Amino acid sequence: MEITFVFVVHYMIEERQSSSGKVVFHNEKLGHKYLALKKPVAQLKAASALNRILVLCDNTLTLLNMFDLEPILSGAKVKGVTCFCLNETPSRGSPFSVEICVALKKKQLQYYTATEDRLIHVKDISLSEPAVSLGVDGSYICVATTSQYCMVNYESGHMQDLFPFDSETSKPLIRRISKEEFLLSGPSALGMFVTSAGISQRPPLQWSENLMGVSYIHPYIIAVNDEFITIHSILDQQQKQAIPFQGGSFIGNFDGKMFVASQKEIYSLVPVAWEKQVQSLLADKRVSEALDLARNANRVGLSKDKFSKVFRRFEQQAAFIEFSQQHFEEARELFKEGQVDVREVLSLYPRLLPSNCNFTRSVPLLHEIADVNQLSRGDETVMKEYRNFLRLYLEEIRGTKDAVGYKQEIDVGLLKLYAEVNSPELVPLIAVDTGCDLKDCVDWLEKYERHHALALLYKVHKENDKALAVWMRLINGDIKDENFLGLDFVAEFLANLSDHELVWKYVDSILVKDAQLGVRVFTERPAKEPPSERLRPEAVIDYLHRFPEAVITYLEHLVFQKKLEKEKYHTHLAVLYLDAVLQLMKENNVKKEHLDIARSKLRHILQMSNLYRVQLILGKVKQTDMYAECAILYGKLEEHDKALRILVHKLKDYGAAETYCLVNSQGKDPSVRKRLFHILLSVYLDPSYEQRDSLVQPAVTLLNSNLSEFDTVKVIQSIPENWSVSLLSQFLMRTARKSMNSCRNIRIERMMSRGENLQVTQNSIEMQRNYVTMNDDRMCAMCNRAFGDTSFVRYPNGVVTHVHCAKNKHVCPVTGKLFSTKQS
Amino acid sequence: MMAETKRKADLKVIILGDYNVGKTSFVCRYIDGTFQTKEPTIGAAFFLKQWGPYNIAVWDTAGDERYTGLSNFYCRNAGAAILAFDMTSVSSFESLWARFIPLLDSALENCIKVVVGMKLDLLDSDRTREITIEEATKFSREINSNIDISHLPKDPYFETSSLKGSNVTEVFEYIFNHCVPLTDAEKRVAGNTGIVDLSKPVNDGAKDKKKCC
Repeated sequence: MEITFVFVVHYMIEERQSSSGKVVFHNEKLGHKYLALKKPVAQLKAASALNRILVLCDNTLTLLNMFDLEPILSGAKVKGVTCFCLNETPSRGSPFSVEICVALKKKQLQYYTATEDRLIHVKDISLSEPAVSLGVDGSYICVATTSQYCMVNYESGHMQDLFPFDSETSKPLIRRISKEEFLLSGPSALGMFVTSAGISQRPPLQWSENLMGVSYIHPYIIAVNDEFITIHSILDQQQKQAIPFQGGSFIGNFDGKMFVASQKEIYSLVPVAWEKQVQSLLADKRVSEALDLARNANRVGLSKDKFSKVFRRFEQQAAFIEFSQQHFEEARELFKEGQVDVREVLSLYPRLLPSNCNFTRSVPLLHEIADVNQLSRGDETVMKEYRNFLRLYLEEIRGTKDAVGYKQEIDVGLLKLYAEVNSPELVPLIAVDTGCDLKDCVDWLEKYERHHALALLYKVHKENDKALAVWMRLINGDIKDENFLGLDFVAEFLANLSDHELVWKYVDSILVKDAQLGVRVFTERPAKEPPSERLRPEAVIDYLHRFPEAVITYLEHLVFQKKLEKEKYHTHLAVLYLDAVLQLMKENNVKKEHLDIARSKLRHILQMSNLYRVQLILGKVKQTDMYAECAILYGKLEEHDKALRILVHKLKDYGAAETYCLVNSQGKDPSVRKRLFHILLSVYLDPSYEQRDSLVQPAVTLLNSNLSEFDTVKVIQSIPENWSVSLLSQFLMRTARKSMNSCRNIRIERMMSRGENLQVTQNSIEMQRNYVTMNDDRMCAMCNRAFGDTSFVRYPNGVVTHVHCAKNKHVCPVTGKLFSTKQS
Repeated sequence: MMAETKRKADLKVIILGDYNVGKTSFVCRYIDGTFQTKEPTIGAAFFLKQWGPYNIAVWDTAGDERYTGLSNFYCRNAGAAILAFDMTSVSSFESLWARFIPLLDSALENCIKVVVGMKLDLLDSDRTREITIEEATKFSREINSNIDISHLPKDPYFETSSLKGSNVTEVFEYIFNHCVPLTDAEKRVAGNTGIVDLSKPVNDGAKDKKKCC
C-alpha cells in the first residue's frame, strides 16, 4: 500500500533584478504543516483577503491560516467535494469575504461565502451529472460534467448546455479569460472560447493533446502538457512559441506571475517585455502581428502619451518594412498613421530632397534602407512603382496637417517626379500656390526639358524677364516643349504684365509673328491698370506704325471700347477706314462684300462720332461717288438740304432719306425733326428738279408715313396746286383725326385738372375751418413753455408748438407720426 | 483583431455543410475576392464583415464529422445559416438534412436558411449534376417554414462557384438584405467600400484648378 504524507509548505519567493538586467528569484522556506490525511492535496488556493488558504484534500474543503498554516477548526468545512473554484470577480463582493463555488460528488454545485472562520452556504444548484471542473466569473459558473460543458447563472438558476465533451479521454480545463468569457478544452484538443451567453466570439485554437493545465496572461494563453509549454495569442489564435518542458503538471497565474511546476520543481515563466516582443516581430518582418500585439499591450507600464509615442515609433518602423517589401497600400497607411516625417521617405529617393535641405535621418534609425535603388536592385518596373508610390503619397498628404512645415520638400519632390514623367500635373503644381524654390528646380526642369514649366516657375518667383526669355526661345523654335501653349499664351501674359518695360521688350517679336495677336497686348490690358507714361496711346500708335492692321485695331479699341473723346484718334481712324475703302476701290476684282464691309465701317464711325474733322474727310469723299458717306458728312455739318438732296437725287434711297431725318433729329427738340421732314418734303417737291414727277410717289409716301411729323398748315401751303385731293386724302384724314384726338385729350386733361382743383380747395377749407384756441394756459407741446409770439405751428393731428420747435413739418414732434409729404 | 471581436456582432451567419464542399473557399471568395484552396478548417473560423452600420460575424465551421458537437454550439443565436453542398455529390446534399438541419435548433427562431450549391464550375466540365434545381429549391422552401418566404425576392437557393466568383456576393447580400436591410443612405455608404485604387489616377479634382495667368 502506498503511504502518502500530506504537507503544506510555505515559501517566500522574492524576485530580483540582477545588475545585468536578468530576473533572478530568491526563495526561502518559512514553514510547513503536516496534514494528517491519507490522500494528496487536490487543490490549494489562497484567499489573501481573509489570510486563509483553501485546501481540498480527500474530498474535503478546509481553511488554513495563511501564515502559521494552522487549520481553522470553527466548522469551516465542506465534505464530498470533487473540486472548487474561487470567484475572483464576484458580482457584489464584500472585502471581508470571498465567494467559492464547490462541486460535490452527488450531482450538485454549492455556492459559499467564506469569511475568516466560516463557510456560509448560499445556494444549491442541481446538475444532471456530477461536475468535474469549474470556472466562475461574476454570476456565471462554467461547469464541466462527465459528458459535457454547460454555463450556469447561479443567481437565476438558468442553465445552458454548451457542447459535449468526453472527460474520460482528456482533462476538462476551464480558464477565465476576460469578463464573462472562458476558455475551455474542447474535443480534438481545441481551445474553445465561450461567453456567458453560451456563444463564441473568437475562433478556437488548436492545442496539443493531453494538456495538464492552462493559464492566461494577456494576451497569451499558456498551456502545459508533459512535454511542452505552448503559448498561443488570443489576438490571432495562433501558436507563438513552444518551450520543451518535461513532466509539466501544473501552471498558474498568481497575480500576474506565472509559475509552472513539474513533478519535482517549480519554475517561473518570465514574459519578455512587450516592447521587445514587438521589436523582434518587426525584425522578422511580421508587421501586422507586431502592431496587433503593441495595440493590445494594454500600455503595460506606460502613460498614455508615452505609449502613443512608443506605438507611433513601431508604426514608423513597420511602415518602412512594408515599404521595403513593396506593400504600398499598407506602407501608405502606416506612414500616415505613424506620422512619419515626410523627409524620411523623401530621403530614400536620391536627389529628390531640395538641395538646401540639411535633413538627416532620425537616430536611432527607423530602418536600414539605403535608398530605393537598393530596394529595387536595378529593376526598372519596381523603381517605377516606388516612384509612383511616392507621387501618390505626396499628393495625398499635400495640404494636410502631415505636410505642415514641409511644403517645400513635398512640392519640390512632386515637381521632380512630375518633370521626369512629363505629368500633366506639373503645370498646376507650379501655378497654384507652389512651395517649389528656384534653386535646384531650375536645373531639374532644364534637364528634363520642361521649358514651359520652367518659365512658369520663373513667373511664380516674379522673374518675368527670365520667364519671357524662355517663352521667346519656345516661340522661335530654339527649344521645344509640347506643353507650351503658344503665342496666344504669351500675348495674354504680356497683356496682363504690369512691368511695361518688359512689355516693350518682348511685344515686338509677337507683332512680327502675328500683328493682330500682338496688338492684343495693348488692347487687352487689365481694366484696373493705372495709366502709365510708357503705354500712352500716342506712343503705342507711333510704335504700331509698322503694322497698319494693328493700328486700326488699336484705334478701334481706343474709340469704341475705351471711348476716348479725342479728335485725333477719331479722325485718324476715319482716315484709315477711308484709305482702306479707297484702296479697295482702286483695286480690281475686289469682292463686293469686302468693299461693303469696309464702307459700312467707315459710315459707322462717320455717323457715330462727332469728334473727327468733318471738312477733312468731306474734302476727300467729295472727290469720289461715295454719296452715302457724303450725306452723313453733310448731316454732321448741319447742311441737311445738301445731304437730303444727295440721298434723294443721287442715291434715290427714299427710305434712307427718311431715316436720315430721324437719326439727325434724335435727342433734339421735336421741332428739329419737323424741320428736317419739311426740308425733305421740299426736296421732293422742288419744282426746279427736272425729274420731279418721279418724286410725287415718295412725297406722298412720306406724308403718309407713321414716322414723319409735319406742320399740316405748312404742308398744305407747299403742296403744288395741281395735286388732287384724293392723292392727299390719306394724309389729310390722318391729320384731321390726329388733331381731333389731341383736342379731346386736352379737354379731358382740363376737366380733370378742374376736378383736382376743387378737391384741393375742399381739403383746404376743411382744414382751415377748425379753430385753435390760444390762451395763456396753452403750452408748446415740445418745450412746454408759453407762447410769447402770435405765430405758432399746428400739425394735422392737433399738436401745437412754437415755430422754432417744429423741426420738420412732415413729422409730428410728439408722436413721431409721419404726415404725407405729397403736395395737395 | 481582438478589438473587432469584442464588438458585439449585429448578425451571426453560420456556414454548415459536409467535409470538403468548399465552405472556407466560399467565405474567402466573398471576404478577399480571390479563390484559394484551403486546408481543412479546424473547429471553426471567424470573419467580420461591415455592412452599412452593422457588424456581421461570419462563422465558417469545420465539416469534419468529429466537430459536429461543436457546430451545434457555434450555431447558437445564428440569424442566418448557409447550408452548403457539393452539386456533384448526393451524399453532401443528404447530409444537410441528416446532420446539419438538426444543429440549427440552437439558432434564432427566425433564422433564414439558405441552401447553396457549390462548385458550379465543375458542371461545365465533365462532372454531372447530381441534384436538380427543383430538388434543391423544394428543399430550401421546406426548411424555411419558420419564416414567411413569400417576402423574399427569390427562393433561398443559390448555385455558386467560388473558383469563378459567380453568385457568391449575391448569397451574402440576399441574407443581409433580409436580416439587416439598409436604408438608401446607408446603401450609398456601403457601396463606397473605402478601397483606394492605386492604379487609378486620382487627379480628377486637379483639372478644375485654373491654368496659370
